[in-house]
Amino acid sequence: MAKVQLKNIKKVYPLRDDQKKNKKSDTSQKKSNLEITKDGVVAVQEFSIDIKDKEFIVLVGPSGCGKSTTLRMIAGLEDITDGELYIDDVLVNSVEPKDRDIAMVFQSYALYPHMSVYDNIAYSLKLKHLPKDEIDRKVKEAAEILDITDYLNRKPKNLSGGQRQRVAIGRAIVRNPKVLLMDEPLSNLDAKLRNQMRAEIIKLRKKIDTTFVYVTHDQIEAMTLGDRIVVMKDGYIQQIGTPQEVFNHPANLFVAGFIGTPRMNIFEGQLIKEGNTYSVLVDGHKVELSEDKAQRMLSHNVESQDVYVGVRPEHLYSLLNSEDGIACKVDVCELMGSDIHVHATEPTGKDTIVIVPTHGKDITFESGSIMHVTFSGNIVHVFSKENRKNLEY
Amino acid sequence: MDDNKKAAAKLILTRFMAYVFVFFFCALCIFFFYLLFISASKTNFQLQGKFSFLPGSNFITNFKNAIDDTMINIPVGMMNSFIVASISAILTTYFSALTAYATYVYDFKLKKYVTTFIIAVMMIPPQVSAAGFVQLAFKYNLTNKLWMLIVPSIAAPAVYFYMKQYLEATLQIEMVEAARIDGSSEFAIFNRIVLPIMKPAVAVQMIFSFVASWNNFFMPGLLLTKAEKKTVPIMISQLRSADFAKFDLGKMYMLILLAILPVMVVYLFLSKFIIKGVTSGSVKG
Repeated sequence: MAKVQLKNIKKVYPLRDDQKKNKKSDTSQKKSNLEITKDGVVAVQEFSIDIKDKEFIVLVGPSGCGKSTTLRMIAGLEDITDGELYIDDVLVNSVEPKDRDIAMVFQSYALYPHMSVYDNIAYSLKLKHLPKDEIDRKVKEAAEILDITDYLNRKPKNLSGGQRQRVAIGRAIVRNPKVLLMDEPLSNLDAKLRNQMRAEIIKLRKKIDTTFVYVTHDQIEAMTLGDRIVVMKDGYIQQIGTPQEVFNHPANLFVAGFIGTPRMNIFEGQLIKEGNTYSVLVDGHKVELSEDKAQRMLSHNVESQDVYVGVRPEHLYSLLNSEDGIACKVDVCELMGSDIHVHATEPTGKDTIVIVPTHGKDITFESGSIMHVTFSGNIVHVFSKENRKNLEY
Repeated sequence: MDDNKKAAAKLILTRFMAYVFVFFFCALCIFFFYLLFISASKTNFQLQGKFSFLPGSNFITNFKNAIDDTMINIPVGMMNSFIVASISAILTTYFSALTAYATYVYDFKLKKYVTTFIIAVMMIPPQVSAAGFVQLAFKYNLTNKLWMLIVPSIAAPAVYFYMKQYLEATLQIEMVEAARIDGSSEFAIFNRIVLPIMKPAVAVQMIFSFVASWNNFFMPGLLLTKAEKKTVPIMISQLRSADFAKFDLGKMYMLILLAILPVMVVYLFLSKFIIKGVTSGSVKG
């Protein structure tokens, strides 16, 4: 139970000697887009957020975006290169992990293999020299919450993946930490178990009152678990917001593409300002933006320009008997049950997905045929071609 | 039906062949122990005469002769050997594991060079460094001290190398980090988390160090001059070079038999720790 403040946190990994030598010749073949300065690779920068007491924060982003590094800096497992980290208004930059009163669940569980489940959970309490009966009570309480009471005497190797994950969570919650950190805790589980454990984490959150910081690369986990989501890329925060905000009002092209499955369709087009109204032109097809969107753009003095137009697959609809709209060539149709996912190629050659609800009818799109799609002006996202930011904000 | 019988017969035949093969190699291994055992039960006269596979009747006499020998005190020698071998086995494995852990888990300047240096030490034959060491021992009057045999053996690059390889294969850094967050001190992490995980490696290296130290002839031969400080290998060699008239081959074999007994006991005791998959279940994969 604590608030956590990160102020302008930065993490630089010094280059190894052999990397330094190759630095100049290596730039062309570097793996990520992380900034490289003379001090080293900048994994995280300008990271600032105020995490409220008992809030559930999810850090999400593609691999190598610095989300795990940020979490490890909160845990104290990585040094903070620059910036300030406060837990309950106490500066903890140089406080040892064990003195920060945090707990962490690792992706690989990291259970102690030679100890029973009971001892695994009790280990931190034993180190605190708590009385035996109190340890026993707390361990059993945690086991009760996670439904692992029957396995307390087993060794980790005799448990299934889901059970091991519960033990790892048990080890974290038994101490009643100020902040509970989770580093991709579900990514080692199979899909079915992952869904189940996700629901359990939501339940768990209701049972234990604490602040959560959760790292994942899975945007569904982020959407379902988080009070607020922090979307990261290349060491920078892209957007902080509630799941609705991030989904409905993506701050830039990256967030728009990252959040939501299937991913948002991006068309190249033009934004046209006519008086106080705005419209977008894609493939010769013009759609006027809704009033609230136009208002917001007006307030930012947005002018006519080349833009990226983002529309989610479920917001594209096909005009069955019309030549108007964006002409897309159908590649593949996937019947998902209540709707059809049509994979098509738009005029400039990019892949596009259109979700067509069937409403119980037998609708088919023949591969190779042309379908005309359009969208309405209230659910379209317009991004500047220059800096890829959402022009509404 | 016929095919079935054929297959069954074939299976039995292959199994039979396999057992014969295994039995042959078992016999080959055990043969030398048997040879030692029957030789220890024969008189000197029998041993110098025609060879026979049958045990003699002089076992107890030989045993008594060996124990009661006036020139060498075998029980004291075994005690000395045991002290040196067991303490150095424990210290060698513990400190090698500690060093391996440090160079594996911690990042520090010149880490790469430290590892290379330790491995480089392995290339220097002990005979080379022994000359200076013996001089030192004589100069500061440190001969005839058992700890002079124990302390240098603690620095064992080969053991360190083995431990490091084992750690790299089995220890997940995340486990160390989890312990850190749980509130363990760095030393407690090693003693309570890492060392138990390394049990199989420690057991293997303890056996090797124990045997090496038990059989060590070179350093004790140089440093130990007093009768009450001598170790078993020194005593055996002393007996061999003794007066020819008093030389008793039966007693000799008995001594060798006694000398390998503790090694066998240590092996049997430690081998139960050499179990595979001690870490399986800690982390996924």
